[in-house]
Order: sequence, then C-alpha cells, then structure tokens
Amino acid sequence: MALAEICGFKNFDSCNNGILDTNIAKSNFNFTNNLELAVPPYSNPAHMLAQLNKDETGREIKIKFDHGTTTLGFQYQGGVVLAVDSRATGGSFIGSQTMKKIVEINDFLLGTLAGGAADCVYWDRVLAKQCRMYELRNRERISVAAASKLMANMVYNYKGMGLSMGMMLAGWDKRGPQLYYVDSEGTRTPGKVFSVGSGSVYAFGVLDSGYKWDLTDEEAYELGRRSIYHATHRDAYSGGIVRVYHMKSTGWVHIDNNDCMDLHYKYKEVKDTAENEII
Amino acid sequence: MSILSYNGSAMVAMKGKNCVAIATDKRFGIQAQTISMDFPKVFQMGPHLFIGLPGLATDTQTVMEKLRFRKNLYELKENRHITPTVFASLVSNMLYEKRFGPFFVEPVIAGLDSKTGEPFVCNMDLIGCPNAPEDFVVGGTASAQLYGMCESLWEPDLGPDDLFETISQALINAFDRDAISGWGATVYIIEKDKITTKELKTRMD
Amino acid sequence: MSSVLCPDIPNSGFSFDNCARNATLEGKGFPVPKATKTGTTIAGIIYEDGVILGADTRATEDTTVSDKNCRKIHYLASNMYCCGAGTAADTEMTTNMIASQLELHRLFTNRTVPVCTANQLLKQYLFRYQGYIGAALVLGGVDNTGPHLYSIYPHGSTDKLPYTTMGSGSLAAMAVFESRWKPGLTEEEGKKLVRDAIAAGIFNDLGSGSNVDLCVIRKGSVEYLRTYEEANKKGKRQSSYRYPPGTTAILSTKTANIEVHDVSIQRIDTDLLMDTTS
Repeated sequence: MALAEICGFKNFDSCNNGILDTNIAKSNFNFTNNLELAVPPYSNPAHMLAQLNKDETGREIKIKFDHGTTTLGFQYQGGVVLAVDSRATGGSFIGSQTMKKIVEINDFLLGTLAGGAADCVYWDRVLAKQCRMYELRNRERISVAAASKLMANMVYNYKGMGLSMGMMLAGWDKRGPQLYYVDSEGTRTPGKVFSVGSGSVYAFGVLDSGYKWDLTDEEAYELGRRSIYHATHRDAYSGGIVRVYHMKSTGWVHIDNNDCMDLHYKYKEVKDTAENEII
Repeated sequence: MSILSYNGSAMVAMKGKNCVAIATDKRFGIQAQTISMDFPKVFQMGPHLFIGLPGLATDTQTVMEKLRFRKNLYELKENRHITPTVFASLVSNMLYEKRFGPFFVEPVIAGLDSKTGEPFVCNMDLIGCPNAPEDFVVGGTASAQLYGMCESLWEPDLGPDDLFETISQALINAFDRDAISGWGATVYIIEKDKITTKELKTRMD
Repeated sequence: MSSVLCPDIPNSGFSFDNCARNATLEGKGFPVPKATKTGTTIAGIIYEDGVILGADTRATEDTTVSDKNCRKIHYLASNMYCCGAGTAADTEMTTNMIASQLELHRLFTNRTVPVCTANQLLKQYLFRYQGYIGAALVLGGVDNTGPHLYSIYPHGSTDKLPYTTMGSGSLAAMAVFESRWKPGLTEEEGKKLVRDAIAAGIFNDLGSGSNVDLCVIRKGSVEYLRTYEEANKKGKRQSSYRYPPGTTAILSTKTANIEVHDVSIQRIDTDLLMDTTS
C-alpha cells in the first residue's frame, strides 16, 4: 500500500489537480513539465536576472559550481572519441574529484558536460527523456542532429537568464558517426574536433598537433587521454580522472579511466628515460 | 576574488619535540593557469630559521629581499645570529609599517632558538599581527583545509620522523582539495644538528 | 645617501609606498583583503582596591578562528594594563608603542606615570589617524590618585567610567555589569563579576570565544591571571591519527648538517641587573 493511500488519497490524479494546480504548482512548474523552469515574477526575467550576475565590485558572477572543466571529442576513421576530466570546483574549493562528465543518453548517444553542473545534469536528463519519447513515437532512434537541435532549442528559451553550459553530443545514426557542439548561448554546430571548458586551450594544443583522420583506435584513445592529461596539468580547475569513451557503429564503449597522478608519473618516466638516452 | 588567491599557495609549520617543520607547496600560477611547479616560497634566514611567504608572488619576493636586508643589517650590527622571536618582531614591524598600503603576504615562521633549542612557530596577517601558538600555524589559499587537517592530526611531542609524516599528510590532503595550490611540495625538518629537506610526490593536477 | 651597495634605511612611521598599486588593484576588482580582527569581548571595572580588566582570547579572520588563545590584555606600565579590541595588529602595535613612551616618560619624570597620561597619549595618537587605526581600548590602572578606568574609541574619544565594556561582545558583557555592578565590590566579587561579563560575551557573541583572561591591578601590585578560566575545553581525542613512517611518498631527501663549533653559556646574575623599576 502506498503512502498516498494510507493518507487517504483515493485518487491521486484528482488530488493532483486540486493541490498542484494552485500555489504549489506555481513554484514547481518543472514537476509537471520539465521544460518549464520557475522564473522570478518580473515582466522581463531575462533582463532582471542578468542584473543579478554582477557582484558588489561589478565583476561578473558565474554560476560557481563546476565551472572549470576540460572535455574533448573528435571524429576519426574509427568513429568518435570523447575524453573528459572529473573535477568539480566551487570557487577554488574542489568539491569532487570523481565527477562523471559524460552522460550516457542511450546506447548510441553520449553527451559531455561543461559549465554549471546542475544545468548540465538537468538538461541532459530532460534531453534523455525527449530522445526516448521520440524513439517510442517514431519507432526509430533519434538522429544526433535532431537530438542536438532539441537541446539547443530547449536552452535557447532561457538565453540570458544565467544558464551556463557547453556540451558536445556524440552519436552514431543512419548517417554514420556524428559530433555536435551545443551551448547555452544557443550555438549548435557539427564538427570534427572540439574541446570545451577552461582547460580547452591546453587540450587543443595537444589535440591539434596529434590529430589526423587515419588514427588507429589505440592512437585515438591515447591522443584523447594525453590531451586531457596535459590540460589537467596546467589548468587549476581540471583534474581527477581522465575518462575515455569510444562511439562505434555498434554503440558506445567505455574504454578506461585513468587517475591523473598515475598518468603524470607514467608519462614523466617515459620522458626522463628518453632524455637520458639523448644525453 | 581576493588578491591573496591570485597566485595560490599552501603552507604549514608545526612544533615537535626539540624540532620544528615547515612545509610548502610549489605552485606558481596566474589564477587558473599554472606557470611554474618549482617556485620557492620558503626561505632560510638562519641556521635554524625559515620563513614562508604565501600570498601574492610579487610580494613574496619583495618582502623576502627586504627581510633579508634587515636581517643582515641586524647581524652585522649585533655580530650574532637572529633568534626566531626577534626575527618575528622584525617581520611584524616591517609589515605594520605598511599598515595603510600592505604587502599581500601572510608570513609563516618556523625555527629553533639557537641557544635554548626551543621550537618556535608563528604566523601573521598581512599587516603583521603576530600569532605564536603552542601547536601549528598555517597560511595560503588552502588554510581552511589546513586548519582542519592540523586540528585532527597534530599531537604534542612528535619526534622528527613522526612530525614529517604528520605535516606532509596534513599539507598534501589539504591542497588536494584546493584547486590553486599543490603541484609538488617541500618539507623542511629543523633539528638542533641538521636540516632535512624532503621533496614529496604529489598529484600534479 | 642611497646606493646599490647600501640602500637607505627607511624613515620611521607609516609607509604609503604600496598605496597607489593597491588602489589600482582595487580598481581592477581585487579589494585589499581583511586583516585579523579580535572580534572581542573586553571589559573592566573599578572595585574597592583597584581595577579589574577582563578579555576573551579569540582572534578571527573573517569567519575563521585564527588564534584560539591570544592575549588581549596588553602591558602598558607596571601600574597600567590595556585591553584591545578591533584590528588585532593595531591594538598590539599601538599599545606596544605607547608602553615604550610611558616607560621613557617614567624614566624622565622619575615617578609612577598617572593613568590619565596614558589616556591622553592614546587618544591623541588615535585622533591623529581619524579612526583609520582600528583600536578600541579599555585602559585601567592605579596611580597615586587611586584607580582609574577609561574606554578609548578608535576615533580618539574617551570616557572615564567605573565600569565599561568594548568589542563585538560589549552588549552581552554590559548587560551583566548594568545588573550587578555596585560601588565598593570586594576583589572576589569583582573577579566573579568580570568573569561573568566575559563569559556572557564568549557564549552569546560569535566573534568572542575560548578562555577568560583577567588582570587585577591594585595599588603597588598586579596579578595577571592568564587563562583565569578555560570556558571552552577542547574534547579529548579518543585515539591517535599518527601515520606509520613511510606513508608519504618522497621524491628526494637532502640533509644539511649544522656543526656546532663551540657552545659557551654566559650566566647572568639576575640580582645584579640594572634596576629601572623604582
């Protein structure tokens, strides 16, 4: 017997209408419709919320939690490789070293998160639901192009209100391997090589110099791993574990997780022996 | 954003039985970007005397040179080594001189009195208010985490070897929860007859 | 004369060298960080034979307790002590400097310095800096004219009172005094009253905490009761968190030996020290 029945609610749906339609519902829009977030009761919420984004000295306040991140994704002959770090920071405090920044939306769709952790997790969950709904309605999997457009359209409704996210969507559909970049400003673009987050500049440095279409699987994983490792080394707000995923025609495969400390001393040993040989 | 956390640092000094230890991280960064992983922030000011200067890196170096000058002048005049307590007064005085335009450093001092061998640790705020407790002092951007570690790990009358493990674990575990400090660590164990310097293996992210 | 070989020894007094730089940084959104505050309860009363001063022992940096047992009752002269609240460095340095001026004054006039002299020196110094030196003081002492108690505010105004409190816990402490102080308290009653006032601050004001320090100044004698009462005892640790040797991974070790060439100990006969107290 469910708690609602013990409490005397005969028909949950009818009492749902009674209570949730009134005051409670007003502050819980996304309980019934998860595309709708509660916004402050101003005539122009986008404008008013933007004003709250400055601190007392006039500097911009970004949503504090998990702002720093390094994520990357690239296409090559074997599909798509995604690699991410796992650090979550609030200011300079490290909140977590083991965060999962790749979301498994379904067997053929992966999303990465960067920016506000809550934003990313929430909207990725909504996207997962939308994708499943599409699948049930249409009896086929959603294309990556369509999924990314769903995401872009959803967050575009809240543009300027303080959402902060930069994500990559990787998948394999009828048209083959796909990689899209979507962010909270409303950008949506397909591409071969992306890196997102505060450590992306460092990651790009390694990624661009090592990238070519004809990489073998192992080379591709190592390139992703190395790019993230070097980014975590130089960027204070990236670190923890390097996670590598591979999107294949048969669905995604989780390749491995590596602690940045182990990677550092492994790479260092190789470097030191190489230097000694030259001398 | 505080200017004291522009470059990032973590530092701690602890008293033991007839010994003291001072430990520091090695990062020099500009906000999120790590520039160097071998940046000196702890300086030797006498046979048994060390000072750490966490804070803004430019002031770390300026203050260190100013202190070295004043310390040398004292030693020339007095013809003897400066004791930790006198040195602490010297630092405090120098920082308070800049009461209305301070240097952005929060010094950590550790030493043994050259005559009595009495351990001494001391830290200060950026305008030189001295604080010389019976157990440990901390400084830098990871100081909140360091207070927590030290309050639980420190115990009285630790020997040099136990003191090393305690101070190292306190520092490493503190800066592993701070994004802008870490990247290597150095520990100095100061005893009557020797100074032991150990480089620690730490996370490099 | 300044040269590379011999730089100038700076002038005495405050230096404003860094002010322009720090103002620039402030403009760029890096405000000057907060200094240690005492966040204090300090109090003083006059009782039948003299003055009793009291203080808590907590120093705070923003929300962090930076010193759990700091000394807030400062020495001014052998017949005078001064409690400090406000910016910790300011109270420390101001009382230190006035103490040395009072000692010089005593040597020059060859008599016990009156408490009103210290009050005058302090208020003139603080007034000169227009409140920028954040020191709020309770000055107490006994001189030839009897016991005196002053409260001195950061801007340089002073009060001469039979009982007074200062700092963030002053309201809690004053509530105790207002209800229980009366003229002609005995020493035991006085100590109990000041202890209760400080304890009220310790337990009701978040900026105050740890222990109670007292200082009893009588005609011709002083009793400095450091840690008169440990109001907040730290819990006893149940077990040791000591790490076994070898826990920490080391990359390299370097040992520098200090050779002690020769040890000479010069004993000083304390009776023969130059006596400057009388």
